[in-house]
Amino acid sequence: MITRPTTDVLIGDCCRELIEAILPGLTDETLKLRLVMAETVLRNAAVRAAHEIAWMREETAELLAFAEQVAARYDSEPLRVALAAGPVQADPAQAGRAQAGRAQAGRAQAGSAGSLHLADVAEHYGRAGQAFTAALAAAQEAGAADLVARARDLLRNRIATEQQVMASYQVVGR
Amino acid sequence: MHTLGPRFEQFLAVVEPDRGGQVVACEAITGGYSRISARARVRWRGGEEETFILRGDPPPGSGVFVSDRDAEWELLAALPAATSVATPAARWYDKSGQYLGSKAIVMDCATAVSLQDEMARAGDAGPLADLFVDTFAAVHGTPLGALPARVPHPPDWPGYLDEVLDRYDRMGREYPSSAPVLRYVSSWARAHRPPPTPLALVHGDCQPSNVLVSAAGPPLVIDWEFAHIGDPREDLGYYTQIPLQPNVYWADPERFLARYRAATRLTEEQVNPQVVDYFLIIGMAALLEQLLAAAAAIGSAERPGILAPYLINAISHQHDMFLAICDRLS
Repeated sequence: MITRPTTDVLIGDCCRELIEAILPGLTDETLKLRLVMAETVLRNAAVRAAHEIAWMREETAELLAFAEQVAARYDSEPLRVALAAGPVQADPAQAGRAQAGRAQAGRAQAGSAGSLHLADVAEHYGRAGQAFTAALAAAQEAGAADLVARARDLLRNRIATEQQVMASYQVVGR
Repeated sequence: MHTLGPRFEQFLAVVEPDRGGQVVACEAITGGYSRISARARVRWRGGEEETFILRGDPPPGSGVFVSDRDAEWELLAALPAATSVATPAARWYDKSGQYLGSKAIVMDCATAVSLQDEMARAGDAGPLADLFVDTFAAVHGTPLGALPARVPHPPDWPGYLDEVLDRYDRMGREYPSSAPVLRYVSSWARAHRPPPTPLALVHGDCQPSNVLVSAAGPPLVIDWEFAHIGDPREDLGYYTQIPLQPNVYWADPERFLARYRAATRLTEEQVNPQVVDYFLIIGMAALLEQLLAAAAAIGSAERPGILAPYLINAISHQHDMFLAICDRLS
């Protein structure tokens, strides 16, 4: 596989082409606007391409750790169900190993060795998000201020990541 | 767009068969995220000319924001009798899209400029800010009984607020990427309800760009597609996140809200910066749901167009604003 330039650099190069070479040649105002929007999407995608697997895996670990902390304190059926869903593994052999690991641990383990294919990481992250949401609901219903505050910190971290992606976002076309 | 002029001419032949309307110019209007708009100049048989705005639905599956054109037409038709707020005259409606390619409303094109542009040019935007506040206070003073039956009338204020917060819960279930933030925010919002106000006509896209001004007449309020009956403070909260400069709320929140209270007779307990902050969450619910639906459709057969991925950043921005509001008001 050709690793240099990396994906984010390739996308960045396409963005330059769009803005410096193609945009000046457009006369239709609607098409210009659509091109500027497309370039923004590509620039955001470049940031994501460079980091998103690492970001999702790191946050997955934090989300599941929180869910387990809540589960240890409060009995919540939705939370049990969400945690039992566990991480996703694309490869059957890996899935088997992970399943054995889960059985041993009693519930889903954050950051377990698994597929690094983007779709699998995103699926795992989504399930961790569901477990977190169920845990947050349980903590809120129990009035556990310390856990709700911890959840708020995790959400703030999540939003900080989203802001890194949208760092250069500007509203156009309004 | 090049075919719209001839199609509009055919439409005019149906709705104004005796006037011999000829479309002499037709151009797209860029800007705005929801409808497809065009400006068309028409010369009638007698030689007089009029300019119209054509406002239609984008092709199915190609937009982000969805609204009901039939409902908008009914509302536009009812507003002149229902409210003291002026709107451009709504002239005709291609209800089926048979002539104009999609359901489209034809309105008079006002000889006026955007209040937002006027504010940007003004050395002192204060008087224009007052005009903006007074205009939307008048919108909020519209008697609800005069609105079309199609506009949903919530039973009461607590029930309405519950509806909006339930909507956030539903969004969390349907769009899991946003569920953690929405769960946190909706739970917080249930626990921090502000004092109620009477329900009112809410414009739904309250910003100076949707007010046209001229020396010749009263301000004209446009873009009613998201109008509904709700809490009038939704419009105030919504305006606080409008990024176009100047934002006359942020220029002087106390002046803005004092003017609004004076115009509406609402109390300081009902209308203050904290309450306005709260109603940003309430006022954004419908649009956030549409943004999430559009983001979910990316990559599907019904590709919603470039606006959907572009506005994913707006979802992130709302997450950030919502959490910040919870922090500020807790």
